[in-house]
Amino acid sequence: MAIGYYLVVSALLFSIGLVGVLLRRNAIVLFMCIELMLNSVNLTLAAAARLWGGPDGQVFVFFVIVVAAAEVVVGLALIVNLYFRRGTLDVDVPQLLRW
Amino acid sequence: MMLLAQAAEAGAGNTSEIVLFWVFAVLALGSAIAVITMRNIVHGALMLVLNFLAIAGLYLTLESAFLSIIQVLVYAGAIMVLFLFVIMLLGVDNDDLLASEPTTRVLAVAGGALLAGALVFAFVGPYTSPASVCGPAAPAATGDEVACEGLAAAYGEEDPSGVSFLGRAMFTRYTYAFELSALLLTVATIGAVILARRRDLLPEDEDEADLVAAGTVAAEVEGFELSGDAVAEPAAASGQRRAEVGESVVPGEEPPDGPDEPSGPDRHEREG
Repeated sequence: MAIGYYLVVSALLFSIGLVGVLLRRNAIVLFMCIELMLNSVNLTLAAAARLWGGPDGQVFVFFVIVVAAAEVVVGLALIVNLYFRRGTLDVDVPQLLRW
Repeated sequence: MMLLAQAAEAGAGNTSEIVLFWVFAVLALGSAIAVITMRNIVHGALMLVLNFLAIAGLYLTLESAFLSIIQVLVYAGAIMVLFLFVIMLLGVDNDDLLASEPTTRVLAVAGGALLAGALVFAFVGPYTSPASVCGPAAPAATGDEVACEGLAAAYGEEDPSGVSFLGRAMFTRYTYAFELSALLLTVATIGAVILARRRDLLPEDEDEADLVAAGTVAAEVEGFELSGDAVAEPAAASGQRRAEVGESVVPGEEPPDGPDEPSGPDRHEREG
């Protein structure tokens, strides 16, 4: 299987995640779409690691997963706080970023 | 035509990889579309679990067994459980929040399609040729073209899963990144604990509550500074400060300052 097919799949996954971020307004769904995009990049890195036969791409994927785990922990705590303060998860609520 | 024939010949060596690739690729793309179109967030989260599992399968076909296991454990296990927990905790599983303006929706889909088209256009030419086929089905090296042996050759005989291959790179060349990731996880844990602290805020009087919260924090900081000064200060100064606040103090009975001593007037200020 040529590496290009994996790259095409990950490009499509990234685009789907991007459309989701732009299309949805629920903060949790936005977050899930960001996870989707992170995963597609991971797939690209793993495919590149196989193409070059080295460990570097896989190590990058490992670190991306670590950062994503940390990001999810903090981000979900922020979302819970946001919901308790605003009573909604709509990211289009005006004045969200003023104070 | 010759390229197609070569590709068919190369693919004949590992039919199972091709079958698995298409199964997992279709599964991943379908579940990704389901994630962004599902109205029910719980269903979307479960579709995301399916997507992660499909990507774990793609890792398997890429000879990255360790990544596949990590993907299932961390993403499909830990992260998605966290997501589902938050969704259930907030009870927001059924709200329909699409982008409000039709222009935004059209632009979003058009932008995504444009990005996908550009990326596919960039990848399909050079990386789908037989030269980028890896593993046992890779074409033999010709001239200056090196055959892509894949990762199984790099892993070696005694390490079929590639864990020690990966670990050696991680703990030699990427040691600092590894240590930094440990620091990052610690910081994330502390941040989550601070953010999850309950403040008993209600949405309607949040401005007032904000002020109260800020005042409490400021008073706490002040108290810390006072107790720090008090260690070096003579007892008379502390007594004078008490007198200023209005408390009756006999200077002779003043005990030597302890670290918690000056928090008395401070607490008095806060209550009054």
